Amino acid sequence: MSNTPLDLLKLNLDEKVYVKLRGARSMTGTLQAFDSHCNIVLSDAVETVYDIVDGEMRSSERSSEMVFVRGDSVTLITTPEDEE
Amino acid sequence: MSTVADKSEAVSASTQFLSDIIGKPVYVKLHSGMLYTGTLESIDGFMNIALSSATEHYENKDNGLINTYNSDVFLRGTQVMYISEV
Repeated sequence: MSNTPLDLLKLNLDEKVYVKLRGARSMTGTLQAFDSHCNIVLSDAVETVYDIVDGEMRSSERSSEMVFVRGDSVTLITTPEDEE
Repeated sequence: MSTVADKSEAVSASTQFLSDIIGKPVYVKLHSGMLYTGTLESIDGFMNIALSSATEHYENKDNGLINTYNSDVFLRGTQVMYISEV
């Protein structure tokens, strides 16, 4: 098997990615680097946190120029919808 | 009583399963309860998974569609609970 899932992730380097994290969080940004633990470096990153207040879903955002995401909180990585 | 030969047969049967289902439609359940359906592009020994044309549901396909992904989706192996053929 030549193309492992991590090989396919290389295609997303320098591209915008959407990263789903544990605990109803997500992060979008430009994929600068990653390793086999799924430690990820994103530039121009926006973190979105979802929560439910009085039965209504709300989200809040926070941006950072460069962020290192520890691999153990990563669940999914893909291209954001608006970049396809 | 299982022998060493039995064990190596069981190991090769599981790796055989993983290589047999490449290119087929699969279900992948994560520990969070999220269920992903799509075509299995690739899988490695850590259970890292790449799916194409993936859809996202919670626990069960009969529960409402949460998302469809038009580009490849990477799922982290440590989060995977199971993978099965559709």
